Amino acid sequence: MPVQSLQNTDVILPQHTPHPLLPFLQSQSQNTLTRLYQRPSSCLSIFRLLGPIERQLIMNLLWLESAIPAATMSAWVMPEGKQAYDEALAVMAGLHIAPNSTVKLALNLTFKSSLRQAITGGGNTGSFGTPADKDYKRQSANIENLDAYALERWETILHYMVSSGQGQNPAKPSQGVLYLLQRSGLMNTAHGAILQITSSGFQFLLHSPHDQLWNLLLQYLHMAEERQMDLVEVLSFLFMLSTMDLGREYSTEPLSETQKAMLEDLRDYGLVWQRKVGSHSILLRWVPSINVLYYLQASSKRFSPTRLATTLTSSSPPLPSSHSTGGSRAADATGTVALSSGAAQQGFIVLETNYRIYAYTDNPLQTAVLNLFITMKYRFPNLVVGMLTRESVRKALSNGISADQIISYLTTHAHPQMRKNNPLLPVTVQDQIRLWELERNRLKSAEGYLYKDFASQADYEYVLAYAKQLDVVLWESAIKRCFFGTLEGHSNVRGFIERRTGAA
Amino acid sequence: MRAIKGVLLTCDSAVKQILLTMNEKDPFVIEDLDDYHLVIKADEEYRVRRELEAELEKNTYSLEAN
Amino acid sequence: MEKASHLSVIVDLSPTQWHLSAQASNQYPLSIETFLSQLLAFLNAHIASKHENTLVVFGALPGKSVMLYSSTELLTDDMPPLDANSYLPFKLVDSTVVRRIMDELDAIGKLEEEPPCALVGAVTKALCYINRITHHSSTTTGVAEDPTTLHDPRILILSVSPDLSSSYIPIMNAIFSAQKLAYVCKVYGPDTVFLQQAAHLTNGSYIYLERRDALLQNLIMSFLSPPFIRKILAVPKQDKIDFRAACFCHKNIVDVGFVCSVCLSIFCQPLPVCSTCRTKFPINTLKRLNAARPAITPASSRMGVPLANLNNATMPRSTSTPVPNGMSNLR
Repeated sequence: MPVQSLQNTDVILPQHTPHPLLPFLQSQSQNTLTRLYQRPSSCLSIFRLLGPIERQLIMNLLWLESAIPAATMSAWVMPEGKQAYDEALAVMAGLHIAPNSTVKLALNLTFKSSLRQAITGGGNTGSFGTPADKDYKRQSANIENLDAYALERWETILHYMVSSGQGQNPAKPSQGVLYLLQRSGLMNTAHGAILQITSSGFQFLLHSPHDQLWNLLLQYLHMAEERQMDLVEVLSFLFMLSTMDLGREYSTEPLSETQKAMLEDLRDYGLVWQRKVGSHSILLRWVPSINVLYYLQASSKRFSPTRLATTLTSSSPPLPSSHSTGGSRAADATGTVALSSGAAQQGFIVLETNYRIYAYTDNPLQTAVLNLFITMKYRFPNLVVGMLTRESVRKALSNGISADQIISYLTTHAHPQMRKNNPLLPVTVQDQIRLWELERNRLKSAEGYLYKDFASQADYEYVLAYAKQLDVVLWESAIKRCFFGTLEGHSNVRGFIERRTGAA
Repeated sequence: MRAIKGVLLTCDSAVKQILLTMNEKDPFVIEDLDDYHLVIKADEEYRVRRELEAELEKNTYSLEAN
Repeated sequence: MEKASHLSVIVDLSPTQWHLSAQASNQYPLSIETFLSQLLAFLNAHIASKHENTLVVFGALPGKSVMLYSSTELLTDDMPPLDANSYLPFKLVDSTVVRRIMDELDAIGKLEEEPPCALVGAVTKALCYINRITHHSSTTTGVAEDPTTLHDPRILILSVSPDLSSSYIPIMNAIFSAQKLAYVCKVYGPDTVFLQQAAHLTNGSYIYLERRDALLQNLIMSFLSPPFIRKILAVPKQDKIDFRAACFCHKNIVDVGFVCSVCLSIFCQPLPVCSTCRTKFPINTLKRLNAARPAITPASSRMGVPLANLNNATMPRSTSTPVPNGMSNLR
C-alpha cells in the first residue's frame, strides 16, 4: 500500500540578490547599529531584508538563552551548503547581529531582545507607530486615495526625468526632489540651469519601482549625514513606516524633530500623505546648528503611509498600475495585496518577430519610457503601437542604455499572453538588439606610443621583455620588429631605453 | 629606434580596408601594422570615427514603408 | 527575491487529551496555555519571515473541525485595537486564534461521552484550502511570474491524541492526495503510526518530543524553514517508520494480514468476497493461506520493504521494527 515517496531532490536554491540597503548598513558603526536595534520595528524590517539562510539562523538562535558552540550549529549544515552558510554568517557579522567567532554563536543582545519583543508584542518604544485618534470632523484618506496620491507623486518625478522638464506635464517635483536627483547623478545641469537626464538616469528608468525607490532612499540616507540629521532617527522612521498599516492615520506627536522634518521630504516622494493646513498658520523655528531662524509651515498632526511605504520591505508591488481594472481586493484590513492583483497588470507589452511592439497602456510615463528606444507608430486610447528600429535602438544605445537593459525591460513588462512563448522574447529580436550594440563597438582605440626601428633583434627583445614586465604592451610584431605600448608606460620605457643607450 | 605617439586602432579587416581607402583622400595613418591594427595620428581619431560611421551607414538600408 | 510560502497548521484540541497532558504526573507536563503561547510565537515567526507569507490554522475538536484563522479571509469583524508596540498582523493572528479557540471550547460544554477528535476532517479541509488558493492565483494571472504566487505549501500537524484506527483509510486517502500535489506534511506528536507514515510519504518529518517545554525551539528549527533551505540546514527526521496498517474489516492495526490482489485492501481474517471490489476468492486458497499464516513475533524479521533509513537524527526512542503488511496474494 505505501507508495514510493516523491523524491524532491532537484530543488535548486533560488538566486538571492542581497538588498541594496545592506552594504550601507554594514558601513555604519556598531554603536549606530546598536542604537538602531533598540527599536523592535527596525529589527523586524532588517530581518525581512535579509536572505533566507540568515533569517533561519537568526530564528534558530533567537529563543536560546545562552550562546551555543559554533560547532553545534555547523553540524547541522549539509556539505553542499557550507559556502552559503559561511556567507550568511559573514553578512550577519557585518551587521553586528551575530559577532563572528569560531567558538561561540550568539545574537547581539539588543537585537535579540528587540526582535523577541517584535514577535511577541510588548515593550514601550512605540516603534510601530502611534495611531491617531479618530477624527470625526474630517474625512481620513482611504486606500484608493492614498494609492492615487502615491502614484501621482512618483510618476511626476519619473516623468520629469524622462522629459527633462520640457514635457507636456507641467507639474514639477519640489526643490528637494530635484536636488536629490542631481546629487544622485540621475540628472545634471549640462547646459545652464536646465536639468538634463544622464545615462545612469536612463538606466534608472528601466528598473522596477522597488529598485528605483530604494535607489532614491539610499541617496537620501547619504545626504542625511551631511544635513546633520541623525541617521538612526531617519532609518528607524523608514523602518517604522514599512511596518505600518495601510489606510490608517498615525499621530506625529511622538516623532522626533528629525523625523518631523523628514515628513515633508517623504510627502514629496509619495511615501506619506498629510492633509495640508492653512497657510496662515506659521511657526517660527530656531535652528541652533546653523544659527538661523526660519518659518515653518505648520502641518497636520497626523499622517498616513501610502503603499510605497508599507511595501518597503516586501516584494509586493508598491504601486498599482494606472490601467488596472480594479483587481479583486480581498477584505484584508492589514493592507496586504490580494493574491490576484499585481503582476497581471504589470505586463502590457507584446513583441512580435517582425519587431513590432504593441503596448496596452494609456499611462504617459510608460509611453515616454517606451519612446526612449522605440519608434512610435500609432496611438490609441488603450494601445500604443511602435517598432524597434535600428535608429531608435541606436539612439537609446548612444544615451547610455545597454542592450541587456532593453531586453530585461521588455521581459519584465511582457504581456501574460507572451508567457506562452519559449523563450519569452523572439530570439531573432534579442540577437538583433545585441548586434546593434556590437555595431557601435567595431572600432576600438587606445592611445600610446609605437616603438620601431630597433637596431637589432636582441635590442628589440630586450626592450619588449621589459615592457611586458610592466604590462604596458598592447601589440607586438617580431617580423616588423616593433611594438605598441600604452601612454602611461611610455615614460618608464623611454627611461629604460635611454639608460641602455647611455650605458652602451 | 624611434617612439611615435599615436592611437592604436583595433578592428576587423573590412573596417581596416575602409580606413585605408579613407586615408588616400585625407592621410591620417602613421603605420599599417597587420590585418587588424592601425596606428593613426592622435588628434585625428574623432574625425576618423565620424567618417567611418558615415561610411558604414551607407551600407545599411531600412524599410521606411508601412 | 524568493517566493512566498504557505503554512497550514492543524491543532489537535481534544479536551481530554490536553487535560491528560497537563497532569503533573507526566515527566514534562504541557498545558494548553503554554502550548498555545509557544505556537503563537511560532506562527508570528512564520509571518515575520516574509511579508507575503500566508497562514491558515485549523482546529480539530471532538466531532468537528473548524478554520480558526486564515490570512486571506477575515473571519471576525472586530479588529484588535491598534497599539504602537506591536505589529498589527501578529496581533491579528494571535487574538483571532485565541478567541476562536475559546469560543469553540466553550461551545463544547459538557458532554457525556466525548466523540473522537476530527483530525482527518481538519486535514481534508486544509488540503482543500491549499488547492483553492494555489489554483485561484494561477487562473487569474495567467501563467505570469507573480511574486505572490505560493510555492511549497506545507502542512504542520500538532497532535496529542493516540491513533484512531477507524480513521486510517481517510487519513491515507488525504495523504496520497497531498503526495500527488507535492505538499509536505510535518507532524509533531506522540506515538501515532498513521501520522508517521503521512510524514514519510510526503517527504516531511515526524518529531516526537520528550521535552515538551522545548516546543518552540524545536518547531522553529525543524519546521520553519522552506524546503530549499533544508538543502543547506538539515532538519531532524525520524529514523524508523512504523509502516503498519489497519485492516478494512475491523479497523485493527495488523502486522500480518490478507491483501486482495485486485484492489489491495487489507483484511485481518480471510473473507470469501472482498468488501471493496467484490472479487471472489477460491475457498481452497483461503484455507491454504490461513494454515500457512506465521505466528507473529516482533523479533522475527520480514522480507519486503527495508528499514527506511533517513538522515541520522538523535531520536531518543525507537519504534517497533517496521513490518510490511500483507504478503499473501489471493487469486
